[in-house]
Amino acid sequence: MDAEVKMKNGDEGKSALSRRDFFGAAGAATLTAGAVALSNTADAVTAKSKIQYGMLIDTRRCSGCQACSVACKAEFDVPLGATRSWVEYVEKGTYPDVSRNFLPRLCNHCSEPLCVSVCPTGATYKRKEDGIVVTDSDVCIGCKYCLQACPYDARFINHKTGSADKCDFCLHRVSQGVVPACVNTCEGRARIFGDINDPNSEISRLIASNPVTVLRKGQGTKPNVYYIAADHADETDATNGQYINVTTHREQAERR
Amino acid sequence: MTEGLNWGLPVIWYLFLAGMGAGALTASASLFLRGGSVARGMHVEIARYGAFIAPIPVMVGSLLLIFELGSFEAGHWFRWINLYLVINLSPMSIGTWLLTFFIGLSVVYAYTFIHNAPGITNEQRYSLRIFLSWVIIPFGIGVAVYTGVLLGAMPSRPFWNSPILAMLFVVSSLSTGIAAVLLARALFPGKQSNDEAAEQYHQSGYIFAASDVMLIGFELLILFLFLMFAHLTVGDVKQAVSVVLPGGSLASMFFIWVVLVGLLVPALIELYYVVPKLLYHKAFAIPRGIEIIVPAAILTGGFMLRYVVVIAGQITGPVGI
Repeated sequence: MDAEVKMKNGDEGKSALSRRDFFGAAGAATLTAGAVALSNTADAVTAKSKIQYGMLIDTRRCSGCQACSVACKAEFDVPLGATRSWVEYVEKGTYPDVSRNFLPRLCNHCSEPLCVSVCPTGATYKRKEDGIVVTDSDVCIGCKYCLQACPYDARFINHKTGSADKCDFCLHRVSQGVVPACVNTCEGRARIFGDINDPNSEISRLIASNPVTVLRKGQGTKPNVYYIAADHADETDATNGQYINVTTHREQAERR
Repeated sequence: MTEGLNWGLPVIWYLFLAGMGAGALTASASLFLRGGSVARGMHVEIARYGAFIAPIPVMVGSLLLIFELGSFEAGHWFRWINLYLVINLSPMSIGTWLLTFFIGLSVVYAYTFIHNAPGITNEQRYSLRIFLSWVIIPFGIGVAVYTGVLLGAMPSRPFWNSPILAMLFVVSSLSTGIAAVLLARALFPGKQSNDEAAEQYHQSGYIFAASDVMLIGFELLILFLFLMFAHLTVGDVKQAVSVVLPGGSLASMFFIWVVLVGLLVPALIELYYVVPKLLYHKAFAIPRGIEIIVPAAILTGGFMLRYVVVIAGQITGPVGI
C-alpha cells in the first residue's frame, strides 16, 4: 500500500520515508483529538501549527473525471445529496473561442477558519498538530452557523449523524501515513498533498516554483488549498453577453 | 421561498419572536421606571402587559431553534445542551447565555407583577420588581442586539455583514415589542374601574405610540442608510443588496410588506393620533380598531423584515471564486 502511494505520489524513497515518520507522530496525537474538542477555540485558531497540511491542485492535469468525488464518497459513505469533495466544470466563450476547465473543490483548511470562530460549542476546531480543520460529530449540535460562515460552501449537515460535516483531509488515512483518498485515486496526479510549513516538501517546492492561486482570497481566510492554472471565472463575471456556465455537480446547483 | 436554505422559517420566527419579546420587556420596563421608582408607578398597568407577554415569544422562539438543529433532526434530542458546556466568542455562544439569563429573569419579573403572588410579601415583590426592571433592560437590549450580530459576523454573507444590521434589529425589536404590548392591551383591555384609570390607559398608550413613531422614523432612516451605502459600494455587498432593490427577486416583498405595511402606513396613522396631543395638548384618544390594526401591521412588517433579511443573506454570497 505504502509503496503504491509512494509511486502514485511520485515521491523519492527518502522523502517518503521521512514523511511517513512524521505521519506516525501525528497519528499518536490524533488519539487526544476528542479530548481537546471542548477546549477554547480561540486558542486553536490563533496558535500556529508546526505542520500545516495543504493541497496543491494542478488543474492542467485534471480531466474532470470525478474519480476524486467518487473516492471521497466511498471513503466516508457520504450521504446521498451531500459532497465533501466535488469537481466544478467551468464553460465559457462562443465557438470557436471556447474553453472548459475543471475546478476540483474541497475544504480549504484555512489558517483563519471562519467556521471555527463562529462555532458555539467548540465542535469545529483547527488541529494544532497538523492544521487540519475538523468537526467533532459527537459535540456538534448542527446549528448550521458554520455552513453560513464558510465562504466556500464546503460544509453540509450529515443527516445520519446530525452534525456538520466536511472534508477532513482524510485524517484517518493521513494519520497512518497514507495520502487522502482523492489524492490516491487521481488518475492525472493533479493533486499534491503535504506539509506546506516544510520548505523542502514536494508541495512547498511546487508552490514556490509555480504561479499559484487560492479561492476567494479576499475573504481573508488564508486557504491552504492551492491551485495551478485555476479558472476563477464565475457566472457573475459574465459581462457583455459572454457565455459562462458553471456546473457544480452537487445539490447546490449554484456557487454562493 | 425558504426551501433548500440552511436557516429557514424556525430561525426567522425565532429572530422575530425573540426580538419582539426582548423589545416588549425593554420598552415596558423603561416606561415603568419612568412612572417613578415606586412599586405602583403610573405606568404599572401597561408594564404588566409587557412583563406577562414577553417571556412567551422568547421561549417559543428558542424552542423553534432547537427543533431546527441538525442534531435534533437526527434524533439526538438533548445534544443542544453542549451549548452550555462552553463559553467562547462565537456570537451564538454569547447569545445563548444572554438568552438563557433573559428568559430566567423575565419569568421572575413577570411573577413580581402577579397580585398577591404566593411565597413573597407585596413589599418584597415591589422592591424586586423595581430592581429587576433595571437589570432586565440591558439584558433585553443584549438579546435584541445579538440577533443582528449573529447574522452580521460573517464576511461570507455580504448582505448581513454590516454593522448597521444589528442596530436595525434593535430598533425593530423595540418597535415590534411596543406594538405587541399595545396589541395585547387592546385585545384584552381588562376593566378600567374609573375615569382616572381610563385616562392613565391613554396616557401610557400615548407615550408608547409617540415612542413608536420615533422608533419607526429611525428604522426607516437606518434602512435607507443600509441600502444606500450597500448600493454605493461595488462588488459583494452591492450584488447582495440588489436582491431587495427594485428589480431584485425580493424587492416587492421588501417594499410592500416591510416598508409600506410595516413602517410607513402604521407610522402615519400613529402620527395622526399623536400630533394633536404633541402639538396642541389635546386629549389622546385612539379608537380600539386602530389600536389593533396598527400594531398588527407593525408586527407583520417586523416578521417580514426578518424573513427578507434571512433569505436575502442566504441567496447571495461573495462574487467570483
